[in-house]
Amino acid sequence: MSRVSASASPPPRSVWDSVNPVRLIGELSETRYWMYLLLLPSALLITAVVLYPTVYGMQMSFREMRLNRPDLGTDWVLLKHYNRMINDPIFWLSLRNTAVWATSSIVLEFLIGLIAALALNRNLPGTKVLAVIILIPYFLPNVVAGHMWALMLDPRLGVINDVLVRIGWLDSYKAWFADPATAMAAAIVVETWHSFPFFTLLIMAGLKGIPTDLYKAADIDGAGPFAQLRLITLPMLKTIIAAAVILRVIGLVNSPDLLLILTSGGPGRSTQVLSLYAFQMAYKDFNFGYAGALSVVMFILLMGFAYIYIRLSKVNQD
Amino acid sequence: MTTFNRRSALKMGGALLAGSALMPHAAFAQSKSINYWHTFTSQSEQAGLDEVMKLFAAAHPDISVTPENIPNPEFMAKITAAVVANTRPSVTMVASERFRDLLAMGALTDITDRVSSWERRSDFADQRFDSITADGKIYGLPAFSFVDWMYYRKDWFEEAGIAVPTTLAEMYDAAVKLTDVGANRFGFGLRGGPGGQNIIINMMEAFGAPVLHPDGSISLDRDGAIAGITYFSDLAKNAAPTSAPNDGFRQVIEGFQTGQTAMIYHHTGSYQDIASKLEPGVEFGTMPIPAGPVNRVARLAYAYNTITKAEDADAAWEWIKFWGEPDAAVAFLEKTGYFPASTTAAADPRIGGNPMYAAASETLGFGIPQPSFPGAAGWAESTVLPAFQRVLIGEATPEQAVDEMIAGLAEATQ
Repeated sequence: MSRVSASASPPPRSVWDSVNPVRLIGELSETRYWMYLLLLPSALLITAVVLYPTVYGMQMSFREMRLNRPDLGTDWVLLKHYNRMINDPIFWLSLRNTAVWATSSIVLEFLIGLIAALALNRNLPGTKVLAVIILIPYFLPNVVAGHMWALMLDPRLGVINDVLVRIGWLDSYKAWFADPATAMAAAIVVETWHSFPFFTLLIMAGLKGIPTDLYKAADIDGAGPFAQLRLITLPMLKTIIAAAVILRVIGLVNSPDLLLILTSGGPGRSTQVLSLYAFQMAYKDFNFGYAGALSVVMFILLMGFAYIYIRLSKVNQD
Repeated sequence: MTTFNRRSALKMGGALLAGSALMPHAAFAQSKSINYWHTFTSQSEQAGLDEVMKLFAAAHPDISVTPENIPNPEFMAKITAAVVANTRPSVTMVASERFRDLLAMGALTDITDRVSSWERRSDFADQRFDSITADGKIYGLPAFSFVDWMYYRKDWFEEAGIAVPTTLAEMYDAAVKLTDVGANRFGFGLRGGPGGQNIIINMMEAFGAPVLHPDGSISLDRDGAIAGITYFSDLAKNAAPTSAPNDGFRQVIEGFQTGQTAMIYHHTGSYQDIASKLEPGVEFGTMPIPAGPVNRVARLAYAYNTITKAEDADAAWEWIKFWGEPDAAVAFLEKTGYFPASTTAAADPRIGGNPMYAAASETLGFGIPQPSFPGAAGWAESTVLPAFQRVLIGEATPEQAVDEMIAGLAEATQ
């Protein structure tokens, strides 16, 4: 019976060993480069799907790129589009409207979403059915929701005008989207109706994870419902709320579809927001260079917002 | 008992293959499929398209056409993306004001040679091709006409003893007289929302401020434009519903159909929609666009079918030229109201014998094409419309709006 010594030296490498791919891979897997090799497919995929389009979009903002003016070429124009933006009153108006649109919608969606989630979390009879009903608006595509509300708020046939006149809140039918004083507010109502279930859904999931012992202890200590909400519920939901707010702000700032259907940015430019302006620049004026510059500014604003919001909400400290 | 095993399956497959080689080729003739992007939206337009497709299927059973509706507001975004990504449709319907933009981005195929040898070329006057021709090359065939005209409530006019207006001044007076805000009745259904930009441009031209000049130059006469904008915004304030700044096609048509407005400005393509709710010749009538103080501006434009995918050119050509057949053109008119572009089809007694079409026939004599230059559609939609809306909501004066339009025009064309 032969005995193999643990300290025996490995057999000498043959020529085949030095080219054998299985052996080479085996040897490579023992080195620190192996993890980079494993990451390579994902890195290539991310580069192709995420980084390339992003960088391509950004470089467009430094080029002359008007699809309907091939005579102008596609040369580098450095900061031409950004300089134009600084002196463009429509850009500044759109920026202000974007802030109003996103802030108002987020506040309303969060408040209604929180109230709905707290109500549905009480496990009363019928809450499961109500939870499904409440989620319905969120499942509707923006285009469908937009056209539906445009009809419901229609100044001739709209059911909402009819109800408001019948209960005496209005003297006559109102053209909500034709009046600059109400157009943005009406659009925010539609947006809130459509997206508050997003907050409801996430907050409900978060509420399920809060131990009931905390509420029992608070009860014993004499904390009322509002104190419990302030001292237990909201702090425990902090991470979820932060994630939901950031996702919704990104959605609100980037998506022009609802406003495109309801107002097209009008009347005048009273509901013009940055995403709609960039869309119009690209697909009405075919000025992809300027549209690219507007998109880059939106990108920077959103990155800045996410960074500041996460810092202020101290989510990372948990 | 016969058993079915792998060997017998192979034998059967071989026999089928051998049999297929002996069968006539016609049995295996490949039908060619093409897709057709169009912007038809109303029920009547859809019915018209269905009718033309039915006739085409009978005449060309080997070509199948898949229609794809692209809503007008999204059309340029979709076609631009399709051209850039090279996922073009075989055939695309192109409104004349979009031709220059699409040509500039390389979306269209030159069909000059095909048109020259087309057996129905003589049915179409040369002028029909003006808006789809660049540098002597033709890029599409006229499918049907957009003849601008007006609908008016005949019963209301008769009741008030008002004559059908022939000038914009008369139209203004009639609109104001027919307005009764308390009764929710307005003299004019003004399209100040999506799609309204072309009417605003027409108004400026009617007051002496055309955008595109006969020598090909592009500019806007400030005084004429201000006069046009002042007239139109006054009309809105004194005789149009308060919803005017947001009213698009649907709202304007509904306003007329439901008895809210006495006059609307559109083209013959909405005739069947109106006639489905109001009785032609009794409740409503049609009239040519009234003359302005300087020009009489009624657009006579054509919807063109263009070949946008060269690989499908042969089948696509069969489809686009079929729209020029008199039977197809008249069938489409009967479902929609859109006038044929073909002179042979327009001479059909089914058109000449209908008095409701008299206003359109009259317009054929003085109608003019839509101004078309690269950037025209974008300028109209992104600058002219919002600037005019700002006047309607009291945010700007006509002078400020026109200055905005002039600055926007310079930017679009520089």
